[in-house]
Amino acid sequence: MRFLRDAEQRPPRNSGWASRQIPRTGAEWLAVFVLMLSAFGCDGGPAVDEASASSEAAATTEGPTTKAEDGNEPSIETDADAPFVLGDLIKPFDPPPTLEALEASKTWVDSPVVDAMARLRKQKQSEPPLVSVEQALAMKNESEEANQKILSALSVLPSEEGGRVDYDATINRSFQQDLRSTNPVLVSSMSESEIASMIAFALFGFDWAMNPFASADSVVSWRTSEDRMVDLVVLRDDLTWSDGKPITARDVEFSYRLIMSSAVPVPAMRAGTSDLQLVKAYDDRTVAFFHKKSSAVNVWSLNFTIVPEHVYADSVAEDPTLRKSAHHIQQEKKPVVGGPYGLESHVRGQEVVLARRESFYKHNGKQVREIPYFKQIRYRILEDQNTSLLALKSGDLDETLLGPEQWTTQTSGDDFYRNNTKVRGEESTFFYVCWNLKSPFFDDLRVRRAMAHAMNYEEMLDDLCFGLFGRSTGIFDPQSWAYPKEPPQLLEYDLDRAEDLLDEAGWGDSDGDGIRDKEINGRVTPFEFSLIVSNKPDRIAICNLLRENLESIGVLCRIAPLEAAVLQERSFQRNFQAMMAGWGAGADPYISNNIYATPGERNYGSYSNAEVDRLFAEAEREFDREKRAEMYGRIHHLIYADQPYMFLYTRSSFYAFNKQLRGYRFSPRGAFSYSPGFGSIWRLLP
Amino acid sequence: MIALAYVVMMGLVALLSPAIAGTKPLVCSYQGKLYFPALGYFNRSWENAVFRKDRFRNVYPAKLREKDPASWAIWPLVYQDPYRRVRDGEWPDQPANPTRDEGRPNRFNLFGTNRAGVDVFAQMVHGARTALLVGFVSMGIATTIGVIVGATAGFFGGWIDTALSRLIEVVMCVPSLVLILALIAVLERPTIWHLMAVLGVTGWTGIARLTRAEFLRLKELDYVVAARAIGVGRTAIMFRHLMRNAMAPVLVPVTFGIASAILTESALSFLGFGAPPPNPSWGALLNDGRGNQQMWWLIVFPGVAIFLTVLAYNLIGEGLQESTDPRLAGAE
Repeated sequence: MRFLRDAEQRPPRNSGWASRQIPRTGAEWLAVFVLMLSAFGCDGGPAVDEASASSEAAATTEGPTTKAEDGNEPSIETDADAPFVLGDLIKPFDPPPTLEALEASKTWVDSPVVDAMARLRKQKQSEPPLVSVEQALAMKNESEEANQKILSALSVLPSEEGGRVDYDATINRSFQQDLRSTNPVLVSSMSESEIASMIAFALFGFDWAMNPFASADSVVSWRTSEDRMVDLVVLRDDLTWSDGKPITARDVEFSYRLIMSSAVPVPAMRAGTSDLQLVKAYDDRTVAFFHKKSSAVNVWSLNFTIVPEHVYADSVAEDPTLRKSAHHIQQEKKPVVGGPYGLESHVRGQEVVLARRESFYKHNGKQVREIPYFKQIRYRILEDQNTSLLALKSGDLDETLLGPEQWTTQTSGDDFYRNNTKVRGEESTFFYVCWNLKSPFFDDLRVRRAMAHAMNYEEMLDDLCFGLFGRSTGIFDPQSWAYPKEPPQLLEYDLDRAEDLLDEAGWGDSDGDGIRDKEINGRVTPFEFSLIVSNKPDRIAICNLLRENLESIGVLCRIAPLEAAVLQERSFQRNFQAMMAGWGAGADPYISNNIYATPGERNYGSYSNAEVDRLFAEAEREFDREKRAEMYGRIHHLIYADQPYMFLYTRSSFYAFNKQLRGYRFSPRGAFSYSPGFGSIWRLLP
Repeated sequence: MIALAYVVMMGLVALLSPAIAGTKPLVCSYQGKLYFPALGYFNRSWENAVFRKDRFRNVYPAKLREKDPASWAIWPLVYQDPYRRVRDGEWPDQPANPTRDEGRPNRFNLFGTNRAGVDVFAQMVHGARTALLVGFVSMGIATTIGVIVGATAGFFGGWIDTALSRLIEVVMCVPSLVLILALIAVLERPTIWHLMAVLGVTGWTGIARLTRAEFLRLKELDYVVAARAIGVGRTAIMFRHLMRNAMAPVLVPVTFGIASAILTESALSFLGFGAPPPNPSWGALLNDGRGNQQMWWLIVFPGVAIFLTVLAYNLIGEGLQESTDPRLAGAE
């Protein structure tokens, strides 16, 4: 998940999840809002922001929201005097009374239960390394070819028995923002979801190609009813919480009820679970998930954070915030967790230390799961990306994110290559300028198209982005299956065309002051808007290029750099005229629904196209991937034509790793946030 | 003396910035009329709209020739713009500004360029305007408030003095930097004028105290007593007899105040809270250079400019102090 840290805000809703073999699924990946993105932005943003990436994350509320058809949007505001009711947001529903009745009532299809590490090992066997590890470590990553070679050699995995793994190793990592809470159910920022992915128990995950599965570490079997209305999962019997109590299906049901309680402040997490009709444990090991509708994408609502029932069952009534009572404060310091790592210590503003949990991989003295590769994970909180790079060079960190500028200019010398190497991967994150279609400037398609013609894309990519990023061609990433077969015809840099379009739209210069204006509601309004952007030099530089071009055609653009939190708040309130930000990839394109459809919760620019709405709804009901791809391709084209966004560039991820580390591999979500992700990284015995 | 010369020179640079570095002609004849497009650097609306209408796109040299072969123009000394990158073919034989980290100082970019290819020299010349404006405007506000409050307190004495002195103490406790940061967060569209206003409104206490002390001393002098005895009005005594004599020592905190206002503005810009982009500012340049130490020219030139300017004002302040403080004079 580190990658998120940088940029995107990911929906916490899923947050928990897994790291090592524990799969994480879903929703989490939903689209991540990259408001702030980090350093990477093409904007070159290296340095400073990288760091911040995590902070950006703050997006607390992301998460797909479903449009609940029944309109039960959960609200957090409740009467403080009302007694606490666990699961008060769950609609009445009568599930079959017994497991036998349920099993008899449906036809069942097996869904995949996968050992993520085994799957990765198998994949690796089909990809022989292009060069030896020694050769790879001696190389400098100066071309795409070199990058491929280094990645193929260093993504080597140890044998199942462990081989040359240093199981006593500590890995030093960093993130940019301190944790507000260590409770995985309260995740609201990148760093919190990073920690949650290490310590939380999870049933589901997805691999580097975004295929969802149930994790063989936690699940024995997973069946889905043929009508896709019910998922039935059987848990393993050798799962243990960090306090020694067994993890059971009851914990899963309890966690669902906890999240669906209006007094518990987890609106983001609830966005996913509100797609579910009910979660019911039939015995200690069997849990059924009942869905509200038959859909191709139900699997993405299954993964929510699972917390121990015996810890919270009594205390939540007295303190629904989960943070204030003495018992909960105690839990913050030493949470009872079910993931591969447990929280060792948290020093505010300085570091978070996690330690491998013996009860994760051993049961009754016998090893039942693979041993996580690190004994300890130490996160330092470093807000500035340059500081992280210096710490990496001096050996205080073992891996870090790089910005494009750092990649190009500060990591080519021997001081860097002595202890480290660097790799890059494509990432499905694009940056854009979002127009507020409610503003009098941008409600006209001709104006939005004029804006798109007024950006010097070539200079942005070559100069401001160091030639490392590609141009964004719309809402889906070319690597995604949802991408149309024929890409849209891109709007090119053409100021004459832009001026003609503006003239056509009625934006002439009637008062002769050199600034275009138009009569709106009887008043002459000059074309002068503000463009909000997160306060990162690389991103500001890109806005500045747009401003320069617009100014030369008589449109004034005021750049307003904002703190991450303020930017996020303004976007939620739709209080802006134009905003530069980014979106990360969703696991499944349906998640974009709430960004582009009406009245999507994250549709900050208030874009609305009936045809797009219809296609999104239809694609969600369609089970055939080919047909879905066709519909999403249509959506891609429609949105590009409507230009509710000016599509700028797609970002890659850049990482530096210590030369002793092995086993890293990229997904469209970066090197860590998938299964196994961080779980496959190991350190060589000294 | 050198300090004074330096300050005067900076003032001239600030005033003449569009003539030193710019891409708009100072004077040009276009289609039979005279225009002054360079004034657009001071205020955008002073740039004649005809050029926008004729789609000049801020590239004057080529467009002037193309649209009106009979035109002529007087150009700034250096063809570089503080707001944008100069690209290929704008000016004969001048290549496009280098971008990324390649913009080390060269013949066309005296102080190098930043990552986006904007010339550092042009930004510094135009940034001088920002720096001096901040210094003078904020201290102008502070002096006005400080002198009035100090004079009132010192002249009337009694409960007025007590009340105003307490007010001064209260204002002294206001942390101006924090106030500015808070203001920036609250304002929809913060500008450099807000910053000057805050610096002015919080920075007058030293001036007020000095003025008050001077008034307390002066009003007991014989000539004031004499003036009062022959029936001169209070206002006349205050402004005609006291104010003039009290002014010399007040200049000292004002000069120091200008220096500190320039420092504050640079510090805020360095932190990214200064004037919004693309307004050139020395502090913003430093901020640019922070990310990559290999681009030393982004740090050295603005750093030296800030250092010298602050030093010059402090030297002037010290000189004034020496010449107005009788104790120092006696010591020599």
